[in-house]
Amino acid sequence: MNDRRRNLFVLLLVAGLLVGSLVVILTKPTRLGLDLKGGVSLIYQGKPTKQAQVTSDSINRAIDVMRKRVDQLGVAEPQIQRSGSDQIDVSLPDVKNADEAAAQVGTTAQLWFYDWEGSVLGPNCKPDPRNTEVTGGASAGVAAIPPALSQFDAVTRGAKCPRTDTGKESSGDKYYLVDKKAKKVLVGPDESLADLKRDAAAKKLTVDPEQIVKVPQGVTIVRAEQDDPKGKPPDSWYVLKDQTILGGKDIKNPEQGFDNGPGENGQPNVQFDFTGHGASTWETFTKKLSQRGREQALGVGGNQSNQHFAIVLDNEIISVPQIDWQQYPNGIDASGGSRISGGFTISSAQRLADLLKTGALPIKLQLISSSQVSATLGRQALHQGLIAGIAGFIIVALFLLIFYRVLGLIAVGALVVYAIFFYALIKLVPITLTLPGIAGLILTIGVAADANIVIFERVKEELRGGRSIQAAIATGYKRGLSAIVDANVVTFMVAFILFLLATAGVKGFAFTLGVGTLVSFFTAVLLTQAVLGLMGRSKLIHSPAALGARPQRKERRRFDFMGASKWFFSMSGVILLIGALAIGGKGLNFGIDFESGTRIRAELARNADENGVRDAISADGFGDAEIQRLSGSGAGKNSFQISTSTLSEGQRNQIQSDLQQKFGVKSFDFDFIGPTFGQTVAKSAIIAIIASLLVISIYISLRFEWKYAVPVLIAVMHDILITSGVYSLLGREVTTSTVAALLTILGYSLYDTIIVFDRVRENVPRMPRAAFSQIVNRSMSEVLTRSLATSFCTALPIAALLFFGGDTLKDFAFALLVGVISGTYSSIFIASPVLTHWKERETVYVRRRRRIAEANGGVVPAYATAVGGAPVDVPPVEKARRGRRLTEPEDPQRGVSQDEFQEMVRDLHADAPPTATAERDPAAERDPSADLDPEDLVLKDDKPKRAPKPKRPRNRRHGRSR
Amino acid sequence: MGMLAWVMMGLALWHFTIFLPDRFWGGIVGAFLGALLGAVICGLIVNGFTIPGESDTHLLTALEAIPGALIGIAAVYFEGVRRGYEALEL
Repeated sequence: MNDRRRNLFVLLLVAGLLVGSLVVILTKPTRLGLDLKGGVSLIYQGKPTKQAQVTSDSINRAIDVMRKRVDQLGVAEPQIQRSGSDQIDVSLPDVKNADEAAAQVGTTAQLWFYDWEGSVLGPNCKPDPRNTEVTGGASAGVAAIPPALSQFDAVTRGAKCPRTDTGKESSGDKYYLVDKKAKKVLVGPDESLADLKRDAAAKKLTVDPEQIVKVPQGVTIVRAEQDDPKGKPPDSWYVLKDQTILGGKDIKNPEQGFDNGPGENGQPNVQFDFTGHGASTWETFTKKLSQRGREQALGVGGNQSNQHFAIVLDNEIISVPQIDWQQYPNGIDASGGSRISGGFTISSAQRLADLLKTGALPIKLQLISSSQVSATLGRQALHQGLIAGIAGFIIVALFLLIFYRVLGLIAVGALVVYAIFFYALIKLVPITLTLPGIAGLILTIGVAADANIVIFERVKEELRGGRSIQAAIATGYKRGLSAIVDANVVTFMVAFILFLLATAGVKGFAFTLGVGTLVSFFTAVLLTQAVLGLMGRSKLIHSPAALGARPQRKERRRFDFMGASKWFFSMSGVILLIGALAIGGKGLNFGIDFESGTRIRAELARNADENGVRDAISADGFGDAEIQRLSGSGAGKNSFQISTSTLSEGQRNQIQSDLQQKFGVKSFDFDFIGPTFGQTVAKSAIIAIIASLLVISIYISLRFEWKYAVPVLIAVMHDILITSGVYSLLGREVTTSTVAALLTILGYSLYDTIIVFDRVRENVPRMPRAAFSQIVNRSMSEVLTRSLATSFCTALPIAALLFFGGDTLKDFAFALLVGVISGTYSSIFIASPVLTHWKERETVYVRRRRRIAEANGGVVPAYATAVGGAPVDVPPVEKARRGRRLTEPEDPQRGVSQDEFQEMVRDLHADAPPTATAERDPAAERDPSADLDPEDLVLKDDKPKRAPKPKRPRNRRHGRSR
Repeated sequence: MGMLAWVMMGLALWHFTIFLPDRFWGGIVGAFLGALLGAVICGLIVNGFTIPGESDTHLLTALEAIPGALIGIAAVYFEGVRRGYEALEL
């Protein structure tokens, strides 16, 4: 396939894909994330139970159970997915109450049946079925103290009891943090000491080992039955011998019903059947209780001796029914099932029935983060994201048009196609579009434009070098491609690793960045090349000025980058020194994403200020909350953010009520962040950074040379630390968005350094007699404009995010902007000098320096020059011949060059039968310039021009006279 | 947080090695590793082999890394001299 056909094929393919994309865009809905359309997001961390460890299998089983529970909630398009090794993300669009959703979805729902009289432990740690002061008698399970105990008394009593291991225990050892003086339980129960310490830290409590109480396996502390289902759970507890009789897995077909029997009051209940094993155990168990009731009836009489069983759900007594030994002397037949009656409302009975229906979770799930976003706020965020995206697109387009004229126009066209393809892909996959995802999308606009800039700058370079427009375009694409491939591969790798390792919010960003990089490669390189290839002879691009290339000045000023590197190093050193002192002195301002707590965003109906809001909530003890007015296009006129330690649902409602009374509340959203969430984000970010750097070091070592990888790593470290220093100095809040931005900086810093190193790699074989510092100086001078242009182009959409995005996007954009500026700087002024210093120590470059110094009076000039100021370079040795025959000159206007003629001759010889003389001569493959003096080396294009041949019409395809 | 302050200080001081004739063992990258390792080890020694957390990090924590970074750079430099590395000045 010749070039024209290939270009036509690409254009037809693009046209076809465009039509398909438009159909997808018009017919498929966009799946918006919770932050854009409102809803509840819950993140759980799995904790082991006595029955199961946190494994991939148990997490997947938990997800299955949660999915069934969510289905019962009737939520449209819920998303439940595993995150990392032990977390589950639950997204429930349009759900308005995070607490209710959490209660329904994440409750462990471990249901156990206990023999009440045989399990309640007295002061001597032994059951005493006849002692009503221990069991409560007819009032078994009630909240009244006595027979119930305070939690502190129950825990200290339980701690004195012996450990058992019969296999019937519902849980293992439990840890509590208590205040022995105040007789209060502060934290617990926790399954391990580490969990206890973490939970204590979240409540800002110091853990004194003397105040830790361990309740051994075989003993369980359960909360007394709640009389009023709408009231507060009672602070009354019982100590039970943890020997379960039946569990949730022994029942089936649970349904919500009513107590409609004779003499019953029609209260809601939960009815169920037993499984085969459950039925036989139930009959044996109830028979045993009846017999014991009969035995105890002597001297008591009547119902006083009836025995009870307790139904306990997640350590809370649901009900303590009695077995009437007179009515059921041989126990209760299991064929009719059983029922749980107690203080249920219809909805709470329905909820319990649903929980029992879906089964217990195989592991305990701890809620580490919950977030509730109202639909209004979601719409605002989407609006801001779209505005930022459109603004980013327009300014990048303007930049391309101004600097590259016709080429820019084609690039803008490619950007439009890119945007359409990407949007269609988002709908087709479908990708859930979130705020970080929009940030990733906007950033890929810059990346897509960068690819064009790299090529266009190369085209301009070739034009300035004297090539014709067509030849310049062909060479520009050919030579710019390797840099773009390397840079895009690195960006894609970073996105891929981020996607695999990072947390949910960052995942969305990583996915759009990765997909965007692939799509942009197609549109920015293949599409523009095809368009330019087809319009190569068009009048539109008949002059270099149309492509934005001005004639080169004869006396081009050359900057000694390596000589000046001392001062650039010093500048970075001073910035880092200040940053280190700031980190030491001020530290980083970690947001609640890392510190844990509750963050409320409220838009008030009437005018208010920070002090007014503080006054309003101070009466309820929230006066020490951090209150700040939210500004920016997304925030309403009277929007405030209130950050406090972790609040319960009641406390949040109290704050909402206070604000409602004083100012009126238009919207009220909140995030709760648990103590482990920030640790998880930080840990996953560190793993992602290390993994990215390792993979990228290997890639650079393979594509370049291993010594190129080290300066790249130093530059990345430089950029990340400078950004951290700036955050510390300015006291800006570090959020999960900042972490995502830091990871992006890593990708961008690599991208920019690779673009610069690519030219160094290209120039090394061209300058076989030059010192490495001379090679780098020349490379820097050649790519400076390109590097600045790509950075500027990337900074444009980031600036759009900064100016038009909401608070989340602004956070993200600020870190990115600092990182991009630092990344550009470090690529040129840190990574390149480090590479130079290191490479100059190699024997070959030591010899070259010595020879150059001897020839120049002991000084190595900044730039390698030969006689007449001609650059000291040679055409690179072709490593492999092109796969197809050369059938036309690279530049038809200039005719067939000497090299092209030689290649055609070689092609003809290749067809000839092999002879002894046709065998390859190793000497012929040697670099012809290796033994030449610098003065002897000249550029291909500097060869003396021959007298023009008489013009004859030529067959352009075959380069032969007609 | 203490580790971040030490590493930053080590990296900051390493930047000024560019003013020295490059006789470092392992070149400029050797100096980089010397500065960072020196800063971290010195910080750990001063703090009894614990890393100060967010609330325990002060201005002094960052300054504690300075002697370590300088010793690290000097050690790499003199090892280079001992091995007979010629000075490289760009």
